[in-house]
Amino acid sequence: MDAAERELFVGAVRRATDSAAGAVLDEALTDLGWADALESDRAEAVGVLFEAQGAAGVTSAALDLVMATALGMPDPGAAALVLPPLRRRDAPGRLGSGRCTVRGVGTAALSRRGRAVVVASTTHGAAEAVAIERGALEVAPVRGLDPDLGLVVVTGDFVAGDRESLGPVDWDLAVAAGQLAVAHELVGTARAALELARLHALERIQFGRPIAAFQAVRHHLAEALVSLEAASALATAAWEEPNPGTAALAKGLAGRSARTVVRHAQQVLAGIGFTLEHPLHRYVRRTMLLDQLLGAGAVLTRQSGADLLATGALPATLPL
Amino acid sequence: MELGEFKAAVDRWLDQQAGALAPEFEGIGTLDQQMAQLRKVMRLSYEAGFMRMGWPERVGGLGGSNLLRAYLGEVLTARDIVEPGMYSMPEVLAPTMIDYAPPGLAAEMVPRLLSGEETWCQGFSEPGTGSNLGSLACRALPADDGWTVQGQKVWTSLAQYAARCVLLTRTGTPESTHRGITAFFVDMGSPGITIRPIESMHGVPEFNEVFFDDVFVPADRVLGEVNQGWSIAMDLLPYERSTALWHRAAYLRRRLERLVAEAPDGALDPAAVGEAAQQLLAFRARSRATQRRLAAGETLGPETSVDKVLLATAEQAVFDLVAEGLGTEVAMGDDPVSVRWRAEFLYSRAASIYGGSAEIQRNIIARRLLALGDDR
Repeated sequence: MDAAERELFVGAVRRATDSAAGAVLDEALTDLGWADALESDRAEAVGVLFEAQGAAGVTSAALDLVMATALGMPDPGAAALVLPPLRRRDAPGRLGSGRCTVRGVGTAALSRRGRAVVVASTTHGAAEAVAIERGALEVAPVRGLDPDLGLVVVTGDFVAGDRESLGPVDWDLAVAAGQLAVAHELVGTARAALELARLHALERIQFGRPIAAFQAVRHHLAEALVSLEAASALATAAWEEPNPGTAALAKGLAGRSARTVVRHAQQVLAGIGFTLEHPLHRYVRRTMLLDQLLGAGAVLTRQSGADLLATGALPATLPL
Repeated sequence: MELGEFKAAVDRWLDQQAGALAPEFEGIGTLDQQMAQLRKVMRLSYEAGFMRMGWPERVGGLGGSNLLRAYLGEVLTARDIVEPGMYSMPEVLAPTMIDYAPPGLAAEMVPRLLSGEETWCQGFSEPGTGSNLGSLACRALPADDGWTVQGQKVWTSLAQYAARCVLLTRTGTPESTHRGITAFFVDMGSPGITIRPIESMHGVPEFNEVFFDDVFVPADRVLGEVNQGWSIAMDLLPYERSTALWHRAAYLRRRLERLVAEAPDGALDPAAVGEAAQQLLAFRARSRATQRRLAAGETLGPETSVDKVLLATAEQAVFDLVAEGLGTEVAMGDDPVSVRWRAEFLYSRAASIYGGSAEIQRNIIARRLLALGDDR
């Protein structure tokens, strides 16, 4: 994408995420050609949409599409994808003794699609994709901390031979793509929370001046911006070397950074930020959930460190 | 020359010249040894043409993008051939001359800097002027055919080796703050200059106090316009937070990987290692984006304060790990390898202080990037 095309694309995506959510947003994304952009410029397509989605606090089926595309599914938009349980990143299915058992979560897309794809690990440590009608899975809605996210808990246990196998797949690469998408969504979520705090600091008067004049407040917000820009830079750069190690670093940092940002934002917003009258709580909730989706920040960080200790090298070179 | 072609040529040359370029000492050596090494490497790189790439032809360069300079410094640092802080000083000094010196002076002097023939220093900080640069007091008074300088500078890196100094002085009234500052290009051999190295806690006396006692500076050594020195400093500070930081990222990466190789099993907490790895790669990603913006012709500004905060965070995270993983070596080792780890650990404590403290960077971020208005 050149600069002019990018500007048009960003504008179209933002209009979509600002005006629609869920199935309506999926339609709007289809109309503006987001799936084509995903094929031609994955980094740009994912970065722009997921940051916008995070900032607007809306959901779509895009995560399923990003991961199904990375898995090489023949018609990636047709089926929803079963994701690992929160905090985990291993395949949600397990194949063995002729059966397939499933334990995972699904996005709101799973409630809207008739078919799901489950990636299951085999006894030889490989991964295989299995297509299944949604009706054959148990799908239980979750309210929890962030009901608007529309997560569902998915379980299943069926005879493997009865289902259509889509063949061997590289689950780790799909997780890497999904982690980078969620990393961008965390950045967008954090950016929106910081903007709420920034506006509040300029408007809220105490001791005869806006609280933005107090250095303690300014440094909370500056620290939040630095943290956010670090996560944004790594998530963006990681697309050039989208291996599992780099994606885990980017997602781990994005989760930790977004939590830092909402902590600072909540401190600056103080009383009003603790109420349901102010929108901050949505971003706090979304951050906590996204931090745990496809691997929790703290877990990924420890694993990245263990990998570095084992291999002796960082997973990305990020050349000039 | 394109970046890809340049990378291949530099890498080939470094492989061929590995013996000639390697330091002749173990660990960090003495400061004299480090300076001799730096000058040797700059001379050889200049003679081979690589050090001239990325600088304009009118100052003896061979043209091309800033990315070429960024890469050369990156590999020299990553191969442990030069120390990044000293090597990167021309990244601020040369642009000052290119943008503000009379063209003849820049053409005469910049090649001496880039070829390692001369070392230069930057006289900004004063005993009463640390973070508040606008309060500087070292005075320059008009004299016949020039100016006389009276006052003191401090934290002047490598002044004891320097042939020239880019010096900020007060030419307006004492109350003129940022409106009454003028920059000069001063010969360090001028009568009246006294240099006193500062013994610093990391054991390398690279910082100095510099005293100016009625030092004559000719009129043609003014950089920019009289009383416009503040804008020079403001234009140049973002450069202190760009290519030099890219070089530093390469150095930190090498040291982190070295630490992981040297630390005993179980000495490092995987969670802390993971955090340092994230911070280091995020800093590198940010610094690379800055390099690319510079190459695209963008003017750098206050957003580089984010880069500086990320450097300080990454550097301190890496060397906090050193203090854990190689704690005994840092605390007790007197061999060259341990002495180097100790010096680097101690120097890392300054990463959030030099070049604009972490607090000053956050003030800039709050005012300029977050538009929070005045802080009063």
